[in-house]
Amino acid sequence: MTSNPAILTEKLTKHYGDVKALVDLDLTVHRGEVFGFLGPNGAGKTTMIRTILDEIRPTSGSASILGMDSHAQSVEIRDHIGYVPGDLALYPNLTGRDTLTYFANLRGGVDWSFVNELAERLEADLTKKVGDLSSGNRQKVGLIQAFMNKPEVLIMDEPSSGLDPLMQREFQKMMREVAADGRTVFLSSHTLSEVERVADRVGIIRRGFLIAVEEVASLRSKAIRTVNLYFAEPVDGKVFEPVPGVRDVRVENQHVSLSFDGRMESLLKVVAQRYNLLDITTQEADLEEIFLTYYEEASA
Amino acid sequence: MLSTVLTKTFLDRWKGEAIGAMTLILLFLMGMAVYRDIDLAVYTDLPEVFRSLMNIPADADVGALAYGAIYTSYGALTLTSLALSMGSASIAGEEKDGTMGILLGNPKSRTHILVSKGANVILLTGLGSLLLWAGGVAVPALLDVDVTGIHVGALVLHMFLIAVFHGFLALVISAWTGKTSIASGVTIAVMVISFFAVGILPLISGLEAGVKAFPWYYFSGSQPHLNGVSWGHAAVLLAGIVGFAGAAVVGVNRRDLRDRELGAGLVDRLRSHPLTQKVVERLAGSTRVSRIWVKTASEHQGVLIVVSYVMFLLMGVAIGPMYNFIDDALISLADAFPPEVLSLFGGGDISTPEGWYQIETFGLMAPIAFMVVTVMIGSRALAGEEAKRTMGLLLANPIKRSTVVLEKTLAMVVYALVVGVALFAGVALGSIFGGLGMSITNIAATTALATLLGLVFGALSFAISAATGRVRIAVYGTIAVALVLFVANGFLPFSDSLAGLAKWTPVHYYLSSDPLNNGMNWTHAGVLLILFGLLTFAAVALFDRRDLRQAA
Repeated sequence: MTSNPAILTEKLTKHYGDVKALVDLDLTVHRGEVFGFLGPNGAGKTTMIRTILDEIRPTSGSASILGMDSHAQSVEIRDHIGYVPGDLALYPNLTGRDTLTYFANLRGGVDWSFVNELAERLEADLTKKVGDLSSGNRQKVGLIQAFMNKPEVLIMDEPSSGLDPLMQREFQKMMREVAADGRTVFLSSHTLSEVERVADRVGIIRRGFLIAVEEVASLRSKAIRTVNLYFAEPVDGKVFEPVPGVRDVRVENQHVSLSFDGRMESLLKVVAQRYNLLDITTQEADLEEIFLTYYEEASA
Repeated sequence: MLSTVLTKTFLDRWKGEAIGAMTLILLFLMGMAVYRDIDLAVYTDLPEVFRSLMNIPADADVGALAYGAIYTSYGALTLTSLALSMGSASIAGEEKDGTMGILLGNPKSRTHILVSKGANVILLTGLGSLLLWAGGVAVPALLDVDVTGIHVGALVLHMFLIAVFHGFLALVISAWTGKTSIASGVTIAVMVISFFAVGILPLISGLEAGVKAFPWYYFSGSQPHLNGVSWGHAAVLLAGIVGFAGAAVVGVNRRDLRDRELGAGLVDRLRSHPLTQKVVERLAGSTRVSRIWVKTASEHQGVLIVVSYVMFLLMGVAIGPMYNFIDDALISLADAFPPEVLSLFGGGDISTPEGWYQIETFGLMAPIAFMVVTVMIGSRALAGEEAKRTMGLLLANPIKRSTVVLEKTLAMVVYALVVGVALFAGVALGSIFGGLGMSITNIAATTALATLLGLVFGALSFAISAATGRVRIAVYGTIAVALVLFVANGFLPFSDSLAGLAKWTPVHYYLSSDPLNNGMNWTHAGVLLILFGLLTFAAVALFDRRDLRQAA
């Protein structure tokens, strides 16, 4: 079992009538990684998660978690996973502790000292009724519930919604610890900064199609940077255009701004030969820009 | 805004109203077809007091019988139940769903929302009434039955008013408390008590005038289908409606809105009290969440307590001694009763204690009581978790879907057993206190059959809930099927050619063997048990097969 990927989908397809929510999704999530699953609203993220958890059944194709078939072995799978659904709903008339006890009873083998440790880290109040908690505090109960059995695979759909920035940071730490422990985190999210911070790889889904799977590091290296150059004298923008990777050159007297995804060395060579360079700043594109680039390319 | 809130509420609710009305028209068609077929002397020879109870005049014809039996009882109760469900969900429902805040984020007042909700009760009850009126006119024409002298319009107008009356009573409670459960619970209690008071009080000499204290009297007391609109009675109901509307406006404006409905029940209070904390913490905390069925069973304790109490004390213990008060009057009349007539009330020889209990308690009230608890769990156990979006999380645990269905079915069985024990104990004590000398074993047998019948309908609602994932379809679907089966079982034996069909209704296997007198009929119990098993199996299979719903 240990050689099997954490999550594997093959041609996974789900149609709701005429609506194609997932189309031929092939995805491998490795063990020990934090995998970020990105996509706009309605792209199929939640459908994918609900399908691999056997909440809904694929129209065609298959999925497995830790080598076990998502439908035929769904009960065995659930022994090894933790799950935070998107738009988390809990039983409002139970306290946080009741809620956790309920799920611990259904699951068995939960270490309560670890539960208490998690509650302490997330500053969760487990004595109040869940219905009386704010959405962020309710979310903490959902997170503890998913982490408490130290699952092999954590599947979380928008898990940090409602958490304040401090708690988000703690939660990100918890995810990295899971990965460091050799276990896997599958994180569906809109919060790009979070994915950027914790994920090893990201998959981008749009309109049911998986359009890219990349390592976060390589995604960033491909990223287009904005370069600002400040000269002692007015310059001619045309000089920069032949340099490989240069785009969108804008000139304002002694200031040049351009988009660049080539090797910095070749750009600097051209600059230094012609002009007297006073200052240079580069602005690295964040994941959001990469993300948008992918969307634009895919929809083009 | 007014029209928007109204339109949305209307669109949310119109299907239930239309299904309710169409089911009633179907029953009416069936009833009238059977009445056309039989010798009406069985009705017209009845003692006067019973004819008046059942809304049957001395010279009753097919029309008068059909309207009296179907429209004034089942019809009015159904229309009223729908109205009170709308009324109780109105303000409190939005609060329970947590949508009140966003609704009031728009530049309109609470009064506006309340008026929209109230207008919807009137509009949809009007729609239901209109359908019933159309059915009431069309069915006799279709069957070629002469209904001269029957005031369908007047009857339907009275029905409309009694329904809106209860709808607005629920609305006012909903507006003052923000709790749907209190609004619907109190209003249902008013409806049921008043329905039975109007039926029973005229039987007890000296208390006849007491009926005027009950709203239902102003609906049926004047026999509007025979005598036309009683403007005096209509005015009483209308005054009530206007009064409730005014009180609702005051109520909704003066209190804090609730965020979400979270009742702090008795258990919660005990749990926070230092004296009881330790014990209750164990019971309400760790025990409550120890198993799926225990948790499910903990969720509807309020209804279970009320139903068990009503069946034990009011329908059990109290009915026995009452027999001695009206015994003499009834025995002299008993000979005049053809058994077929009483079969509508569950049958039985009213001159005997067993017959008295059968008519008062077991015939109609016991099946209703069992269905209240079994259908409540059956319809909500699966579809309710889906509507509240907790099913996904529950099934993320290493348990099979079939386990969930079976554990929740177990909770339903436990509830049915609690009601069964309460009913058995109540009737047994009633028999002892009243000195009636009924067989305790036979009471146990009858209670067991009632429990099984309740479980059959509960399992039906489970199966519908498992197949559709929708609470409302499960509730209304089960009630519609139960209504048709009960009436069919009551009516079919009247017609020689159709009598055999009664065996096809599960209701037949409840009282047809007269278990209060003859003891347990194991074959009948077996039929009900097998039916329960089959429906439970269907629920497991249907739930296992489909996609879970994501939201309400």
